[in-house]
Amino acid sequence: MTSRRDFLKVTGAAGAGLVLGLHLDAKPRPGESAKAAFHPNAFLAIRPDGTAQITVPKVEMGQGVRTALPLVLAEELDLDWSRIEVVTAQPGPDFKAMNTGGSTSVSTTWDTLRRAGATAREMLKGAAAAQWKVPVGQCRTEKGFVLGPDGKKLGYGALAEAAAKLPVPKDAPLKKPADYRLLGKRTPRFDGPAIVTGKAVFGLDVRRPGQRFAAVLRCPVPGGQPRTWDDTKAKAVRGVTAVLKVPTGLAVIADSTWAAFKGRDALTAATTWDEGTAKEFSSAALEAKARAALTGPADDARREGDPAKALAAAAKVLEAEYSFPYQAHVTVEPMNATAQVGADGAELWVGSQSANRALDRAATAVGLKAEQLKVNVPLIGGGFGRRLGTDFSTEAAQVAKAAGGGPVQVVWDREDDIRHDLHHPATLHRLRAGIDGAGALSAWTHRIAGPAVLRSWTGGQKAPSQAATEANGAYDIPYAIPAIAVDFAEVEAPTPLGWWRGIQIVPNVFARECFLDEVAHALGKDPLRFRLDLLGDRGIVKFGRDTADIRRLKKVLEVAAEKAGWGRKLPAGHGLGLACHAYDGRTYAAEVAEVSVVKGRLKLHKVTCAVDCGLAVNPAGLEAQVEGGIAFGLSALFSQITWEKGRTVQTGYHDFPVLRLADMPLIETHIVSSAETPSGMGEPPVPVAIPAVLNAVFAATGKRIRKVPIEDGLI
Amino acid sequence: MPAYQLTVNGRARTVDADADTPLLWVLRDTLGLTGTKFGCGQGVCGACTIHLDGQAVRSCQTSLKEAAGHAIVTVEGLSKDGSHSVQKAWITEDVAQCGYCQPGMIMTAAALLKHKAHLSDHDIDEAFADHICRCGTYPRIRKAVKRAAGGVK
Ligand code: FES
Ligand code: FES
Repeated sequence: MTSRRDFLKVTGAAGAGLVLGLHLDAKPRPGESAKAAFHPNAFLAIRPDGTAQITVPKVEMGQGVRTALPLVLAEELDLDWSRIEVVTAQPGPDFKAMNTGGSTSVSTTWDTLRRAGATAREMLKGAAAAQWKVPVGQCRTEKGFVLGPDGKKLGYGALAEAAAKLPVPKDAPLKKPADYRLLGKRTPRFDGPAIVTGKAVFGLDVRRPGQRFAAVLRCPVPGGQPRTWDDTKAKAVRGVTAVLKVPTGLAVIADSTWAAFKGRDALTAATTWDEGTAKEFSSAALEAKARAALTGPADDARREGDPAKALAAAAKVLEAEYSFPYQAHVTVEPMNATAQVGADGAELWVGSQSANRALDRAATAVGLKAEQLKVNVPLIGGGFGRRLGTDFSTEAAQVAKAAGGGPVQVVWDREDDIRHDLHHPATLHRLRAGIDGAGALSAWTHRIAGPAVLRSWTGGQKAPSQAATEANGAYDIPYAIPAIAVDFAEVEAPTPLGWWRGIQIVPNVFARECFLDEVAHALGKDPLRFRLDLLGDRGIVKFGRDTADIRRLKKVLEVAAEKAGWGRKLPAGHGLGLACHAYDGRTYAAEVAEVSVVKGRLKLHKVTCAVDCGLAVNPAGLEAQVEGGIAFGLSALFSQITWEKGRTVQTGYHDFPVLRLADMPLIETHIVSSAETPSGMGEPPVPVAIPAVLNAVFAATGKRIRKVPIEDGLI
Repeated sequence: MPAYQLTVNGRARTVDADADTPLLWVLRDTLGLTGTKFGCGQGVCGACTIHLDGQAVRSCQTSLKEAAGHAIVTVEGLSKDGSHSVQKAWITEDVAQCGYCQPGMIMTAAALLKHKAHLSDHDIDEAFADHICRCGTYPRIRKAVKRAAGGVK
């Protein structure tokens, strides 16, 4: 919610129709009064021909923001959905809010977009009322028209000019949910037609006049640098025009992508490396350090009651170690960016989830001021957190600067993409549960040991919130247990890390929900009943920085269990497993997985998912996020990145497998809608999928899997 | 350096490039048809799928020399206006998420339907065995293929 009153202004020139500038998230600049500081960064334009253009202040990467955000505005404004054009905003000094991640796009813009739509609607009604000389109260809107008494009807286009001359009302009334015509209905993706005809433009599809292509030969060990190289063979490749030293390695500039790749390959054998500080890094060494850290000092993320005392007094203590590996993002569109850098200005085309950071860092890297750089964000062929990084956009600016002249597109191949990913790091988990004399869960401890991802976001600094961030999903364990200790022991890793869909919640909820299942079985209790009892009759509960409504979590758990037929008789070899989580206390998800293990072969039959993310803006989009989120989570059951001699062992999809169509279980989604402010769905389904499946494997086989990925022969 | 003759989306094209250049890059960089995507260049992901004489093939694994003289159809040439039954089914089922893998999926689906009137789930599994969608659109791909085949009303 913006606290400033003039978040909206008429900004269009005469003849442009009604153009409203929206001021999202921006603060006055130093020395500016709030009133003077109107720098519109998102726009709504009603053109004289009646079409509407909506600028979306977040980037599209498949999560559906270019559909969901316009829907929110169109609802309040009663726009004709078939006459809308959507454009993606450009970041800049006036617009610093393009960061797209953490499943927050709808929740952070919901209020402003609704108010903007309502304001424009009232202005259009005002213009019609003035023209008809009737009270505004007799006018209403419907699908791009203002309707008045006696069958009077005028299109928004015809009213736009007059509306633009009216004062902007301060408190336009918002619609009641019961009157929604678009929100809550299934709306197909706005970009669908462009995608199925091949017209959609992703980063790699950017084509500028005079554009050249580049591949960068990087040291296979992150952080390494070329020591010697001979570019004779590379330059002999037809189409290669230059080989240039750039901060990330050696850039081969060519007139086509293929020539750049060929030139780069010719250079590989003729280059020696100074492999840098990570050259001895290995997964085995990291795991040994993490195992040692399981019993060493750690930072508390949550401590309640006296866990040590409760464990000492327990009639029985259960203990287990869980492990989750490094993971890669492997977006199908590999990293890439196109840049043109001149002496006093530059332009960047990049599929970035953090366009503002991309802009600032690229400008700094090429010695320009932020306002001298223009950033365009095309469609993004998969983000999953990878494109919150700015390494690839900064590199493109550096390559373009070194190459001089026109635009250069830097293309990463699949091996570059996987080796130089900003990986999700491996973690080890040690959990202990104390059972008291009455058979109740009296203590819970969860130690997480691994590298800290948050440092990748804080310039290497240890932030005060580090333990909570790395223990997210673990410290906010929603069950009522008298004594709880969740802590994080940092282990250093020398290679770059980054956010990954579901972040650390994925490994943490995996360990938490599987271990809870172990406890239920050890006590001879049904895992559903056990969870429901532990959730208890509580309402809103606060843990650390988050609060969660336990009633909402219980509800999704009950719905998922009921729809999946929890407790029903299953075919031989089949099992049901469940898990749940309140994601950042905002989105509630529960999943029940049905699997079978026949002759050691695991088959994923079905995942039944119940979610509550407040008001469902677009159920079709939500279901897509549930399906995709589950696929992403399940894929991680079978993939890992391992390190040897500072290099990833994996080099592509052949050794970093991604779930295929034939492996995909049926997904049944149940949206438990509530009237709450909408929250995100990009990540919440991910973490729950893994423990649901592994708990189902236990139900089917009696085998407890505590290590991801599932190894051959383990089942 | 010989120039190669191709027929792309019904149009005769002459391309002067090395014989071993993958068709993928000829389409994208030389002919400006960026609907065909680069995902791996290793024949594993299917993002680059096109039709060569009506068969779905990986354009990253097909050299210019091999493609010369053949009829090539890319996603841009599947229909003039998105009216191919597969494209329509894709919209109805709202398949795409990020959309990047989708042209390849659509080309495989179109080739599959051309050659088989009755599809089982197993046929669909097999046809898409070498395709990757990191966004996880698989349930809707299956539905859309069935719809395009006339299986879903
Ligand atoms: S790009 Fe051709 S199969 Fe992946
Ligand atoms: S829709 Fe994103 S990779 Fe398939």
